Amino acid sequence: MFRHFLTLQQVSRRQISSTVRRQLVNKVPDKQKLFQEANGMPVHLKGGVSDAVLYRATMGLTVLGTAYVIYELVKAALPQKKG
Amino acid sequence: MAHQAHAYHMVDPSPWPLTGAIAALLMTSGLAVWFHFHSTTLMTLGLILLLLTMHQWWRDIIREGTFQGHHTPPVQKGLRYGMILFITSEVFFFLGFFWAFYHSSLAPTPELGGCWPPTGITPLDPFEVPLLNTAVLLASGVTVTWTHHSIMEGERKQAIQSLTLTILLGLYFTALQAMEYYEAPFTIADGVYGSTFFVATGFHGLHVIIGSTFLAVCLLRQIQYHFTSEHHFGFEAAAWYWHFVDVVWLFLYVSIYWWGS
Repeated sequence: MFRHFLTLQQVSRRQISSTVRRQLVNKVPDKQKLFQEANGMPVHLKGGVSDAVLYRATMGLTVLGTAYVIYELVKAALPQKKG
Repeated sequence: MAHQAHAYHMVDPSPWPLTGAIAALLMTSGLAVWFHFHSTTLMTLGLILLLLTMHQWWRDIIREGTFQGHHTPPVQKGLRYGMILFITSEVFFFLGFFWAFYHSSLAPTPELGGCWPPTGITPLDPFEVPLLNTAVLLASGVTVTWTHHSIMEGERKQAIQSLTLTILLGLYFTALQAMEYYEAPFTIADGVYGSTFFVATGFHGLHVIIGSTFLAVCLLRQIQYHFTSEHHFGFEAAAWYWHFVDVVWLFLYVSIYWWGS
């Protein structure tokens, strides 16, 4: 993503010329091929391994968070009297 | 391979509505836990989950539209209706705060001194930073329109430049407003004047930040060639939202800053 901001500077400053070192190339056709591949993967996992990692992390936090909130709510609803 | 006999989008099963709902549960319960038991863990967890959900959900929409071609004209029409309805709901959200402001300011109670601004309140000069803020947002409305025309005419460089300028103006507004908040001679705790001022302008500022973020995502997408001259609804939605933010400011400026001083 930082690469894109650097490219933003370059793209907005100069015109296309043969001496261009880092013109951002259009990767949309490649992405279209990747995401239209008939592999039965749902769109949220179709991008590759990083999708699965991010999904598992998110779902992990979801499950942990659900357990934690139930714990906190039960604790809040049944106050323990001080001894 | 089976093909659908209609132009509508049958989405793949997605986990993000569930994770988003749990994020909302964690944020609201976390708020209560923070208030009563001074722990911010639950609320923070909810916020992280919200950010993860938003990132992946909207990433998937970009994939479905730009990479898989699911955003046919009827689907796009539905997305347009959706964005318009959402902005309409936000209009009603702000209407409530304007109602509160006019309720208190049109008939100021004896406790306030029977006047508006209330006794003891030094309002901000509407012709100083607030006027600059007005100019900044109006200018950003012009630059975002410039961006739209550039995209429609296939002018890639101009679109990137004008969109960058729009975002910079949005950030400038936020910085100026933050400075005003810091320097203001009154606080949110200063009676109904403080409450109406900071809640109305505060929610507006939050919407400026949201709008600037939406525009920034559009900038990244424009750089990556996602938008074509005929199909760039994500940008249009961001531009509509931005104009809405601008209009809300104009009402805030005229009502609270100018008439209210």
